Amino acid sequence: MAFDLTTPISDADIDKLKVGDTVTISGYILCGRDAVLPKVLKMIEDGTVGELGVDLHGQVIFHTAVSPAGVGPTSSNKLEIESSIAPLSAAGIKLHLGKGALHPETVAALDKYNAVYAVIPPVTALLGAKTTEQRVVAFPELGMEALHLIKVDKYPAIIGAAHGRSIYE
Amino acid sequence: MSKSYEEIVTLVRDTLVEAGSTFRQDKKDAYTRAIANETNDKAKWVLETILENAEAAEKNRSPLCDDSGIPHMVLEIGEDTPVTGRTLDAIRDGITAGLRKLPGRPMGIMGDDSHRIDQSGGLNPDSAGVEPAPILIRRCKENVLRLHILMFGGGPAIRAKTYRVFHKHNTQVVLDEIVNWSKEAVSQLGCSPCTLAVGIGRSHFEAASMMLQAQVDGCYDVQSEMEQEITRRVNEADIGPLGLHGKTSVIATFMKVGPQRASGVRIVCVRPCCCFEPRIATVTLSD
Repeated sequence: MAFDLTTPISDADIDKLKVGDTVTISGYILCGRDAVLPKVLKMIEDGTVGELGVDLHGQVIFHTAVSPAGVGPTSSNKLEIESSIAPLSAAGIKLHLGKGALHPETVAALDKYNAVYAVIPPVTALLGAKTTEQRVVAFPELGMEALHLIKVDKYPAIIGAAHGRSIYE
Repeated sequence: MSKSYEEIVTLVRDTLVEAGSTFRQDKKDAYTRAIANETNDKAKWVLETILENAEAAEKNRSPLCDDSGIPHMVLEIGEDTPVTGRTLDAIRDGITAGLRKLPGRPMGIMGDDSHRIDQSGGLNPDSAGVEPAPILIRRCKENVLRLHILMFGGGPAIRAKTYRVFHKHNTQVVLDEIVNWSKEAVSQLGCSPCTLAVGIGRSHFEAASMMLQAQVDGCYDVQSEMEQEITRRVNEADIGPLGLHGKTSVIATFMKVGPQRASGVRIVCVRPCCCFEPRIATVTLSD
């Protein structure tokens, strides 16, 4: 099946998604990877995540840097990234966008919080034409690894984990 | 007549941009063949998207991937071709200009030895803050000065392996080990299909240099029996593009076998080059 998703993503949107579905993603989405995601988790733990000024509920987190070279997925199974998926899902993130196989416990955590993981091809030149706005939300000292908010139009992806199943099984 | 300093800088700059933004024709043809042969719909979609991305990057002269890579160079020197310190300075300035023009991802790490290891010294915000790797020099038959620029991404570096193999006086033992390493590496690499770059030598340095030269000399249209066997056996693992299953885990294998030691051991280097690699372009720097 093919679906067009626009942020904020609802529980009803997630309910209909299955592993292997192709989706497009549009709207404002967050970008963060190894360096910044642990800092966002710390803000959640400290109860200060509201200071980001971005509502995490229904949001997408794209595992990428944002640099003059563009955007593209880094491996989501890097320790600091994959360990963020469960707590960020608990905080309201609905779709984690990256690449690579996740561990079974992460797939189970996604199911627990009714969130999904989608795989996006590393097609920086195409994604550049589909990215219309970008700004730093927090931790600007991290440069390209700061937490960014970008506006995207129909990013292509495949659902890689949903409802306890993984495309890598 | 040799080219001026400024001419070399300009040529190297534009060659780096080409390396970071362009698929060579044999690679485009290999993708086209893979798309035609792939029966898994998701795998086919990934292959088509990667080729479409390559066409857009070439048209825009923009990076194929946001990990624009670390410049690696092979310099080929002909019989009567002078190379001076100023030649190397001009090449280095061309690399700097190319990284800014591409533009490359600003991922140069600043600070002293410790800071650069733990990344506590911060990132250089300049794309040109990325230092190129040391230049590999080799002799060529033609009387020219030729530079190959390759852009090495981080994902393949994470999954690459250089280690000894006890060959038991049987080539098949070494090929089996290469296939086993490659299956593991390709399955872990997010950005497949791969081109496997393989070097076999007498030391880790030599094996890695052979792996680099394999990418310079390799061609998707011409594959040896050993290269074909490695590609076929890894593809039988059903890993597929982006790990989504299918026939196309590996597009081709580029292997270079150097001189070998009188010993029971071979040093093997395998780099699972990502779907964009080898990101390579070549320029002649002599008249």
